[in-house]
Amino acid sequence: MSLSNLIDDWSRYRKGREEGGFHDYEHMWGMSIDLNKCIGCNACSVACYAENNLAVVGKEKFEKGQGMHWLRLERYWDEPDLGEERTTEFQQHGASFLPMMCQQCNAATCEPVCPVAATYHTPDGLNAQVYNRCIGSRYCSNNCPYRLRYFNFWSYYEDSWPAPLQMQLNPDISVRDKGVMEKCTFCVQRIRTVKDTARMEDRKVRDGEVQTACSQTCPTGAIEFGDMLGMYDPETGVAETKVTRMWRKHQVEFGKTKQNKQTPDMRGYRVFEFLNTDPCVMYLDRVREV
Amino acid sequence: MGWGGVGATLVGCDMPSTVTLEEGKEEVVSYLVPEEFVIPGVGVWYASTCRQCPSGCGIHGRVREGRVLKLEGNPESSINKGRLCQMGQAGLQAHYNPDRISKPQIRRGSSLVDATWEEAYGLIAEKTANISGSKFAWMTGSVSGHQSVLLQAHLESIGSGNHFVHETINNAIWAKVSEDMLGDSNPRIRLDKAQSVLSFGADFLGTWGSPLHFSTEYAKFRTSPRGTLIQVEPNMTLTGANADLWVASKPGTEGALALGIANQLVSKHSLSMSGLPSSVQSLIRSYTMDETVTATGVDADRIADIASTLKRRSPSVVLAGASAQGHEHGYQCVAAAMVLNIILGNIGETIESNGEFAYASMAPVSGNTQSLVAFSQAAADKRFDVVFFSGVNPVYTAPKSLGLQENMANIPFKVVFSHFNDETTAMADVVLPLASGEEDWGTHVAPYQAGVGEISIQQPLMEPLSKDTRGFGDILLTLLKKRKESAYEGFADYYAYLRNAFSTIPAEHKNGASDDQFWADVLSAGLIDVGVTDKPLNVTAVEFNMPKELGNSSDMVLAPSARLGFWDGRHANLPWLQEAPDQISKVVWDSWAELHPSTAKKIGVKEGDMVKIASASGEINVKVYIYKGVHPDVIAVPLGQGHDAGFSRYAKDRGVNSLSILDPKVDKMTGELALYSTNVKVTKAAKTDDVLVRFGGSETQIGRKLVSTVSADVYERTEGGDHVA
Repeated sequence: MSLSNLIDDWSRYRKGREEGGFHDYEHMWGMSIDLNKCIGCNACSVACYAENNLAVVGKEKFEKGQGMHWLRLERYWDEPDLGEERTTEFQQHGASFLPMMCQQCNAATCEPVCPVAATYHTPDGLNAQVYNRCIGSRYCSNNCPYRLRYFNFWSYYEDSWPAPLQMQLNPDISVRDKGVMEKCTFCVQRIRTVKDTARMEDRKVRDGEVQTACSQTCPTGAIEFGDMLGMYDPETGVAETKVTRMWRKHQVEFGKTKQNKQTPDMRGYRVFEFLNTDPCVMYLDRVREV
Repeated sequence: MGWGGVGATLVGCDMPSTVTLEEGKEEVVSYLVPEEFVIPGVGVWYASTCRQCPSGCGIHGRVREGRVLKLEGNPESSINKGRLCQMGQAGLQAHYNPDRISKPQIRRGSSLVDATWEEAYGLIAEKTANISGSKFAWMTGSVSGHQSVLLQAHLESIGSGNHFVHETINNAIWAKVSEDMLGDSNPRIRLDKAQSVLSFGADFLGTWGSPLHFSTEYAKFRTSPRGTLIQVEPNMTLTGANADLWVASKPGTEGALALGIANQLVSKHSLSMSGLPSSVQSLIRSYTMDETVTATGVDADRIADIASTLKRRSPSVVLAGASAQGHEHGYQCVAAAMVLNIILGNIGETIESNGEFAYASMAPVSGNTQSLVAFSQAAADKRFDVVFFSGVNPVYTAPKSLGLQENMANIPFKVVFSHFNDETTAMADVVLPLASGEEDWGTHVAPYQAGVGEISIQQPLMEPLSKDTRGFGDILLTLLKKRKESAYEGFADYYAYLRNAFSTIPAEHKNGASDDQFWADVLSAGLIDVGVTDKPLNVTAVEFNMPKELGNSSDMVLAPSARLGFWDGRHANLPWLQEAPDQISKVVWDSWAELHPSTAKKIGVKEGDMVKIASASGEINVKVYIYKGVHPDVIAVPLGQGHDAGFSRYAKDRGVNSLSILDPKVDKMTGELALYSTNVKVTKAAKTDDVLVRFGGSETQIGRKLVSTVSADVYERTEGGDHVA
């Protein structure tokens, strides 16, 4: 470690101590998911399986809750089940769909409980998981209010990719083995590739240049992904990123447990915001004609 | 030929004999000397066409170190605009599937044994040598492009006109009604312009028409000014799950409801019926509110509400799909929906002409189920000595009551082109292993295109995994050559044939580019738009009646609904799709029957319990899922599972095939199978050890704000007129 690195790290630590939090983010990747457009088709989830080497665990293990769907499509009914109080005869407003992936919280509850710092916050604002540091304590999973961490109870790879299925595996990321926690990375391998390319071309990452697998495939374009630090730059005239604009438009701000909106009816919200997890994923209300 | 004649356009014999990604290379070069554009660690994207369903979406395949790793939508494609559905994403697992067949098989006694291509071709040549045309038939799925051209050429070489085109999931009756009433079997639906959609079971986000295309249009439909979606169907489809208003219908009453709404529009909202035949006008008059309520069981308030919404939220569009057309009077139900479009003035507004594809020989031929019925009958009558099958699995998709499986025994020689062993290959005399969608060449013309005439190119995204599979076009060419068709001798392979075809394309499509440059551009873009010819809609509403009595059976009706996922059962061998929870029930790796809570109570079953579903044609035992998205008189068993053991390790011993117990009823006007008209008795059956596995612990949000909902009014107030993002 060079002296300059040491000094940089120390001053960063001091700033964090004195002002609270980390300040030198290079990016802060965020999302906006419009539930008015989401149709619950599941394309995002399967795209995630294809991109991120997610294991198929089979019926028996799925029953035990071991499905490895980093991005899962939750479906809720308005009307209660059989046996509960009867209200109307039918689900007359359809279903409520919710694509749920790691919310990449800025105040992630999973991070401080990791005994070996396998899960930590990157200067990209990502909640990262270091597979070969993970010892499988599962504290992080236990502490995640969104239940978005998936544990390798078995060596799923042994059955998941019988030849020649293994030829499809994405060489940009690893296949995880037994005893390791895994979760959505916002397609960190894609972020990495774009950042490297931008660096080589001596320029900044452009808005829209990084697309996660889910946002790229989404049939209705419900998922918007981008850099939350991409604000309007008056000097260069570079416009703010799409996702930043969406957050601003819907008046959702970081660092809050309750949004104080000028226009309370704007649709943006963050799931379980009141837990002070400060997620980087904003959802826009589902809309129904009633 | 797609363009020009065969003989006039030969370009000599210097065509590459082995196709690599680099044109002109004659052999596979080892990675010691990589092709110059291959950079280890860097993915390169190639354009091709998705073959997972007949919609014909453009795709990009990411190729790295000689392997295709990921598929995405091709942004150039007007169909999917860069997007891809879960079936498309899982195309890779069809390609890399561990259960693909890699060698030709020939029947020896009761079993199929591996053979060489020479043996297979030799046997085919022997059996077809002196066959008379009427004794030969092809059965395929929907087909288009140059494969269609060669297939027709093969039929002509034998002198046969027997081509059965079969798809279980189809729009055949909608197409017939559109043809009869609008003069265009494939009108353009402008969801982007519509302010309201009334859909009678048209699952346009899942299985109707071109689902991915309509999903992209749906996003525009839901952007301010936000359109209203009303879905009427016996059990909830993906589209129904996104409806503002979902109405449960008893199967077969869709037409009556449409006429009842028409009556309200005319009597309460002063819309005009002029232009309709007087018999249809009096039919509409006869469906008074009382009559409609009696016929459909839908509340009067609801019917009035739907009518006023359609009037208020204009322009509207009315669609009809599988559950509306699947009856003996299916044509009338769809016709009644189309009459609504005429009354509402939607023709020319939200229903336009798509034009006509300019090159008839390459135009898409879409499958239906009438062909399945006709084929089974023809086989029963012992009309055929030799039948070729490709892209279909009729032994699985045909209801047992059609007797197709038994009738197949009447065909002495059956050749099945396939990627996998399935129910149909099990009955074959020769099985020819096909190259996967990611290994083959082809050109495809999508059946639904929004006013454009794109030809989408399918090109290999990697070398074949097995040296003993062959492309569909290559096999057709070989068969044609063996028929001594000298016109095809100049083509070393299907690539050479396609390359030549694109050399002879009319110059107006080349934009002045040289021949090689033009070909490179087409491959790079993945498609070329050759335009369409105008074909204006011509409204001529036809006469039809509506049966008042639908048979007062106390039995329930079986709904074999289809899903974007397993489709008609063809994708049950893809593990990603088996493990992807069903969009509605969230069941994985299994079949299930959907029941309304009140019906479940009557039968005495809880979720996961087994029921026996018995029709006049057979019975199945299946576990139940209970929710309020199904009509109380309906039991829905979505398609996909229930395959024989031969169809891959992933589909083996899994669930049931609800198509198998359907009665052999058909729509009387078109001969299409009436899929939603089988009466069944449902009783509780003994539970087995096999449990119903579903994703998710809770069916409701239990008051948590996970998915928050606002009214459309709020949305319009805050975001109205704002089309950003």
